Formats: sequence, C-alpha cells, structure tokens
Amino acid sequence: MSVEPETSGRPMTRYACMQRLAARLRDELVILSLGGSVDEWYNAAPHMRAASLFQQQLGCVTPQAFGLAAGLPHRRIVSLDTDGGLLFNLGILATLGNERPENLFVVVWDNQCYQSIGGPPTHTARGRVDLAAIARGAGLEHAYTVHDLDGFERHCAEGLAAQAPYLVVAKVAGTVEPGIRRKHSDGREDKYIFVRHVEASEGVTIMGPSEHN
Amino acid sequence: MTPEAVDAVIRGLKRAGVSIVCYLPDSLFKELYPALDADPDLRTIPVTNEGEGAAICGGVFLSGKRAVLVMENSGLRASVEPLARMGLGAGIPVVMLMSYRGDLGENNWWAIPHGITMEPVLQALRIPYRVVREEAAIENAIADAYASAYASYYHAAVALGGSIVR
Repeated sequence: MSVEPETSGRPMTRYACMQRLAARLRDELVILSLGGSVDEWYNAAPHMRAASLFQQQLGCVTPQAFGLAAGLPHRRIVSLDTDGGLLFNLGILATLGNERPENLFVVVWDNQCYQSIGGPPTHTARGRVDLAAIARGAGLEHAYTVHDLDGFERHCAEGLAAQAPYLVVAKVAGTVEPGIRRKHSDGREDKYIFVRHVEASEGVTIMGPSEHN
Repeated sequence: MTPEAVDAVIRGLKRAGVSIVCYLPDSLFKELYPALDADPDLRTIPVTNEGEGAAICGGVFLSGKRAVLVMENSGLRASVEPLARMGLGAGIPVVMLMSYRGDLGENNWWAIPHGITMEPVLQALRIPYRVVREEAAIENAIADAYASAYASYYHAAVALGGSIVR
C-alpha cells in the first residue's frame, strides 16, 4: 500500500512535519527549496541551521542533494523538495532510479500550489498527478504519499535508515506557519555557512586559501 | 575524437582532482563517454538533461569532491537557469567541458544554433572559457578551468572544437 489513507479534519501542516523530522536529525546534511519552507525550517530545526543549505531554485534541490550524497557516501543527506520543484525536473527521479544512492532521503512538501507567489495551483492540485507513483515508475521502490503526521514520522524513521533511495510525498496545507522568525542571510552567506560546516564535520577543505594572500 | 585526445581529457580531469563526471552523451564526444565510464578513478553519472547535471555537480562541489559536466554545447542552453542561480546567487561553481557543435565548418543545419549561441550565452553569464582546437592544449585548459573556478567560486568552461572533434 503506497498511499496512506487521508485522515479526517484539517490537513497536516508542513511546519508540524518539519518538527517531527527535525527531532530525528543529528549529523545529517539538508538541502531545501525556496519559499515559505525556508523560514519554517530555520525555526523548526534550529540545531540544523549550519547543516542546511537554503536554495532558491526550482528543480535543483534534489539534484544538488544527490550530488552531495554522491560526494559523501558515508553521510545521510536529506532533500526537502517541493511539488513545484520536483515537477520542474522530473528527470532526477530517473537518475536516482538508476544510480540508487544509499544515503539519500527525499521529502516532497506537496502543498499543491506555488505558495511563495500567492498560491496558484501546481499540477498536483487537480488530484490526478501522483508524484510518488511517478517516482516508483522511475525505479524508486520506496516512494510513498502520506497525509498524517504519524505516517510521516514513520516514513522519516525508515527513510533515514534506508539503504536505498527513499522518497515520501507529504500532502500538506497551503499555509505558512505564522509568527516565525525570518532568516536574514542570502544564498551566498548560506553557502559559506554550509561549506564551513561540511569542512569542519568532514575534516576536509572545500574552499581553501588562495596561492597568495 | 582520437584516443590521444580522449586520454588528454582524462589526464586533465585527473590533474584537476575530478572524481565524479556528470554527462549527457553527444556524438562529437562519442569516444570519450565509454572511456570515462571505464576509468576506475572516475564515477560517471548519466543525467536526463544538462541542467540536472549542473545541479548535481553543484552538490558534488559542496561535498568537497570535484565534478565535471560533460556535454554538447547545446547543453549549455539547457543549463542556464541552474547555472545562473547557483553561480550568481550562491557562488557554487560548475566546471563544464563541452563539444563545440556549430563551429566554422559545421555541416549540419540543426547544429548551427549551437555555434551561434554558445559564446554569447557564456558571455552573458560572465563565465570564463577557452575554445581549444589543438589536442596539445586540452590538458592545461582543463586544469586552468579548475584553477579559475576554485579561485572565483564561479563557473568555468572548456569547449573542444576543430580537429579534436571532427
């Protein structure tokens, strides 16, 4: 059974899902998408700020996370992608299906809209497009859709321990958590923070000194 | 490509410390791809479009490993959005090695746009690049691209044309 039953009442929020996921993260590295999820993750996972790269581009989140996973095969990488972002580049699912990274957990926040620009619908909004089914068709056996928090958390536990690419589509409300602190840094500062964290935690040099000062 | 040119590319990549190659195969580099696949020091990742490959290379950069994106120069056009976002927005570099389709002497009508657009697109993105048409210059050009990319934290490109690919 790949699609879990929708629970009655209000849809789960992305922020509540993030809190459940964040509680399970320690040494992982996270790459996430643009829009409201940036500030939400910044608040839901304060201990992961340096270990998270906040990116501003549709279609690049899971490919970047896969590149990171390929470069650090001993480290668990988490991609926090979106319905709009994944639809922008569905080809990455076929690449993951072929490459089969053992350390990549992909979460797709499917709020069925382009929330950051006011909420026009994405292609998942009409209920026909099933991203998890597309992922399974691309060769990812572990691709699921969840509608409830406990189901989401169960897939987080499995996805973070899996030895094969694991993708969960979280059907979430099209709202942003109110009253949360805004992240002030831009993409360039975020990159430096993230790279320095990878350098320190991996004992490697990524952005070293020039030949002369 | 001659076996010597293929060897020069692989020597250049290894000298630059590359261990991961993302590619979308093309006809001018057709001898190169199986050689990359066969090299035990290189992991090759075939991709579905070059923009996806650029983003994967960006992720590899963040890991501390070095990657290259190998493609026909038409792939540059497919990569512009992720290149602009990663390079100009975040300072995440991608080094590209592309075949120069549409160079002077091109005899395929469909390849003419590749020649018309490649250098203007590189220039629009302010990407330093070198067009190499002599086999003897391949290895140094690749090494130089990495030196620039890892000083500027911006993209760099090498296009192989002329007798190297025809």
